[in-house]
Amino acid sequence: MALQITDLVKRYPTGTEALRSVSLDIEAGQFFGLLGPNGAGKSTLIHCATGLAQPTSGTIRVFGHDAIEHYEEARLAVGLAPQELNLDWFLTLEETLDYHGGYFGMPKRDRRERSKELLEAFSLTAKKDDRTRTLSGGMKRRLILARALMHRPRLLILDEPTAGVDVELRLELWHYVQRINAEGTTILLTTHYLEEAEQLCSQIAFINDGQIVAKGTSAQLASDYGVGTLEDAYLELVGRKELSRARVGEVAP
Amino acid sequence: MTAAQIRFTSLLRREVSRFLKIKRQTIGAPLLETFLYISVFGAALGSRIDELNGIDYVVFIIPGLIMMAWAINAFTNNSSSILQQKFQRAIDDQLSSPASPLELLLAFSFGGFLRGMIVATLTFSAASVLVDVPVEHPLILVAALFLTGFFFAQLGVLIGVRAEQFDDVSFAQTFVLQPLIFLGGVFYSASLLPEPFQTLTQFNPVYYMIGLVRYGFLDYSEVNVALSLALLTAATLLLTAFNHRLFARGYRLRA
Repeated sequence: MALQITDLVKRYPTGTEALRSVSLDIEAGQFFGLLGPNGAGKSTLIHCATGLAQPTSGTIRVFGHDAIEHYEEARLAVGLAPQELNLDWFLTLEETLDYHGGYFGMPKRDRRERSKELLEAFSLTAKKDDRTRTLSGGMKRRLILARALMHRPRLLILDEPTAGVDVELRLELWHYVQRINAEGTTILLTTHYLEEAEQLCSQIAFINDGQIVAKGTSAQLASDYGVGTLEDAYLELVGRKELSRARVGEVAP
Repeated sequence: MTAAQIRFTSLLRREVSRFLKIKRQTIGAPLLETFLYISVFGAALGSRIDELNGIDYVVFIIPGLIMMAWAINAFTNNSSSILQQKFQRAIDDQLSSPASPLELLLAFSFGGFLRGMIVATLTFSAASVLVDVPVEHPLILVAALFLTGFFFAQLGVLIGVRAEQFDDVSFAQTFVLQPLIFLGGVFYSASLLPEPFQTLTQFNPVYYMIGLVRYGFLDYSEVNVALSLALLTAATLLLTAFNHRLFARGYRLRA
């Protein structure tokens, strides 16, 4: 099992309960989609799995390693490409990858080879000595993905990786993550683009109000909600079925 | 190198490279500032001031200036670096890595400590060219400077972690740190102060730090050297332990 979450609760000091007893299993090798409206708890769940947030109760195991008790092994296995473009302005692209590799204990030679390989794969080699703040939004997005992959994680977490990127880059990223998934990397993806989830994910879970409310393939979820598409299932979930594409063009009575 | 050593050196390299990339601001500016103090207080005013306890006025103020440069730079560097990374959320890269709370704390601390050491060493070297600065008790001097530098490095980490906006950092520096340092006797001997200021100075911890450094350089001290050194060691250890607890709990770093 790549990620095993059991009865996870996250309550913030303000009293807000972002996660309410979430249990979720992601098998090794899966391409898993986590969908839900803003504020549903997607990022909190990801933050709990990567050490950026501390669970109130419950357990998280990454490839069998407890994310709290054995955080060192657990974090080594995870690569996180967060939603925010959280790059260090002081660093160049190459340094960004090199330091990240260092934080994950990679020896110098390995860091050098891996960063070269990733800069090449994401067409960033020409910019390698530039500071990160000079990059365009799309390039920052690519660098963040390269950084997440730097230490060769077995579980890659992509938190809305294609938000605000152009069509070309979105497809480029799809191809890339599909390839590394085929090579054995487990992927957990959150996205607001349902066609992205449909295209890429073998399993999808809906999260709403801090709880997992449904799980299955795209077709299973549509049939669970008694609708034809994943998007309609999602609209049922958020209680906005009147927005269905099937009704676009209907004239309001 | 073990994985832990690689992690620590990478974390530390990031901190050092940050201040070296903006060295005009992080090293050049504090050096100039110290020299302005030496020029104004030492050369310009100093010529009108008699010797203090048998020591030339300009020589009397140099140990305090060196200590002040180390302390303020260690503090400023760490508080700004941590707050800046919190703002950009870039710190999440370190926080989601396998680095332990102690590795993170020490790397953040030593960043500012090393910057303070560079500025203090350059100040001392340049001052030595201008005037004869003796080093009477090198061991005490090194111990006092290292402990003071590390204490303020820890204080910078604490303020950086607690701070939510840049105003929090500048408040601590302007309204707490600078007054304590200036009133700790960098530019004068506390024995010259009228009461109640002479007694009040005894409650300022920085007074003892300056006293120790001045003793290391000049063999002149108004404070109990052994006791001050013991208290400074204890305070530094306590603050480090407190910070380590904050890092282990993820206080204001992890949600």
